[in-house]
Amino acid sequence: MATVEVLLLLAVAAFLAGLAGSYLGIGGGVFLIPFMTLALGIDIKVAIATSLIGVIATSSGAASVYVRDHLTNLRLAMFLEVATTLGAIAGAVVGILVPNVYLYLTFGVVVLYAAASMVRVAETAKDRAYRGGEEERPLVKRLNLSSVYFDQEDQGVYRYRVERPGAGFGASAAAGVFSGLLGVGGGFIKVPAMNMLMRVPMKAAVATSNFMIGVTAAASAFIYYSQGLVNPGLAAMVIIGVFSGTNLGTRLLVRSRAADVRFLFAIFLAGLGIAMAARALGLFGGVL
Amino acid sequence: MITARARLRVVQSRIAALRRAVLTEVEDLNRLIYHILRGGVVVSVAFLLFGFILAGLTGLPLPEHSTPPRSLGPLLIHFTPAGFLNLGVLVLIFTPVARVLLSLLSFAEERDRAYVLMTAIVLTNLLISVVVLA
Repeated sequence: MATVEVLLLLAVAAFLAGLAGSYLGIGGGVFLIPFMTLALGIDIKVAIATSLIGVIATSSGAASVYVRDHLTNLRLAMFLEVATTLGAIAGAVVGILVPNVYLYLTFGVVVLYAAASMVRVAETAKDRAYRGGEEERPLVKRLNLSSVYFDQEDQGVYRYRVERPGAGFGASAAAGVFSGLLGVGGGFIKVPAMNMLMRVPMKAAVATSNFMIGVTAAASAFIYYSQGLVNPGLAAMVIIGVFSGTNLGTRLLVRSRAADVRFLFAIFLAGLGIAMAARALGLFGGVL
Repeated sequence: MITARARLRVVQSRIAALRRAVLTEVEDLNRLIYHILRGGVVVSVAFLLFGFILAGLTGLPLPEHSTPPRSLGPLLIHFTPAGFLNLGVLVLIFTPVARVLLSLLSFAEERDRAYVLMTAIVLTNLLISVVVLA
């Protein structure tokens, strides 16, 4: 199955996934899984396991740079990781037991929901960051979640308050379940949740999401690895490709405008939603 | 006039020293996390490339399935591509775990009880996966 052409194609796809993943705060699994199953004809469970490895590579490669550049909110990440890892374990166990058809179906529904909610809101992250007024939530204050980040876009230091910690925690748990279930990083849930619910500026949300997905994916990657579902040859090509991609993607994010990142993220979600809806409705027949 | 300027310079240098001290403290943890994450990926990629080189040299087939850590030893001793490709993948999976362990140590050092508790929960969740793995 794993011919030289397949391995090389996979490395190229992984490079692009790493590039987009590090720029958008996602693991890149949403690109890798359809590519592996549709274009390369790899079994979905092997594809999910391989993708989880790619997600860890994207996260570790990208997060390292964002942590060094102080974009990542380490405390917020730790708080939400409690939810994502619990969710991931539950998701991975369910994923091994459940038939493939349901996996595709769940994938489609989740992506469509995220696309719709992101498109509805047009504001930029920075407008949100400055909203003052009422007191911080007690939990946010106690856990010292609010933070500061430096934006190279305009050489400014921005202070932001984290809001709705409970809602963010719940969304992260859901992201964790889908991560374990579908082999994705869950960034397409975490980034909108942090940006829209918790009011974390876009770049900080992307960096913090990238930081978290590695741990989330590791929890479920262990389980897939132990089942013998990881194909080491495929995984190796994915890791090497993704690592090269993140080196470029992180450089792009640090310099680009927050509004552009958000716009591209919305486009990405919309495209993903349409593709998945088409598949769920059977427009590319025979996929399921 | 000259003494006033000299005093100003002393105050300025003290402020600069203070700022450097604060920056290094924050910088240390961030730097350490940077090196752990980056190092993990680089070491993993090195093992994987070595695995591919072995496959090219020996003509042995690439592995199709992951090998549990306890049966990995013999594969590594005999320098098989399967051994090093599996090892590279495992190193990558353990990289985020090492980062969580470091976070636990740093929160413990700050005596930040709430965060020590949360990090411990995350680590426990990861260990539950490892127990299933072994």
